[in-house]
Amino acid sequence: MADVNMSQSNPTTTAMKPLNILIVDDSATMRALLHRVVGLADLPIGTIYQAPNGLEALKILETCSVQAVFTDLNMPVMNGMELLREMAKRDAWKDLLRIIISTDGSKLRRDEARELNVNLYVEKPFRPEVVRDVLCQIASADVL
Amino acid sequence: MSSAKSPALMSSDLHDALQRALIEVSENAFFVFVEPANATQFAAAADQVTTAWLKVSVTFAGAFSGSVEIALPETLGGWLVTSLLGMDTQQTPAESQMFDGVGEFANMVCGAWLSKLSNKAMFELRVPAVTRMSQGWNPVAETRGREELACRMVMLNDLPMRVLIRSN
Repeated sequence: MADVNMSQSNPTTTAMKPLNILIVDDSATMRALLHRVVGLADLPIGTIYQAPNGLEALKILETCSVQAVFTDLNMPVMNGMELLREMAKRDAWKDLLRIIISTDGSKLRRDEARELNVNLYVEKPFRPEVVRDVLCQIASADVL
Repeated sequence: MSSAKSPALMSSDLHDALQRALIEVSENAFFVFVEPANATQFAAAADQVTTAWLKVSVTFAGAFSGSVEIALPETLGGWLVTSLLGMDTQQTPAESQMFDGVGEFANMVCGAWLSKLSNKAMFELRVPAVTRMSQGWNPVAETRGREELACRMVMLNDLPMRVLIRSN
């Protein structure tokens, strides 16, 4: 079940430029699934980076150009909320699109995510077309 | 959220939520249809399994604590992963990929079950633990000693799966 919770964020001007995406999940299977789903979205995708936890994700963000981050919440080493809190501290990352994909659909967690400027919250299990539609919205700069 | 042992959370609530979670995860994410099975049907199907069984456990903590434990034949584990990833059905996923994939299945079932019980309470889920059981192990013959909150026996692709919810 997906929830399209949209927070206010600055619109990007890269509607048709290739999107570089970072997928953060401790499950290699989920990373592979999201990689595949992103590829099915029929829009310009640049590089798809992957990280097994928030700490590795930060390393990628510090060295690579990324426009959208898909992150799980329950991960070892550094979980999703910790990652999002770290991202919120850096002005250079303020325009990054933040999408949570998690089994945790609790109201408390969604409220916490909203406070961290998460753009979209997708609850597992999700149909692949839900993520595809999310990407199409991002690419067409409909997320505001 | 009420304790799982309190009258406010009936056994039927737990079983109903588990059934709905199983269907939602299996059909929406893994594209596999779920059919209920009674004890006799499950035992008969389990006796036909020639491969090893996998046991997958996800521990959770929060308003109450426990674990979701899934037992399934290794063949079914492979099918779930190929279905999830859109792989050729003739392909057999690598062991590490299959273990990770069935772990994610259990993770989703646990999360979906907890969400159906209450969308207000927060839970922490631990990393799934996957074990290949020794040859000859059969869930029907297993002695279940710890407290069980719910149990569901189902068939996916005509193969048996058992889901147990245990409390700590």
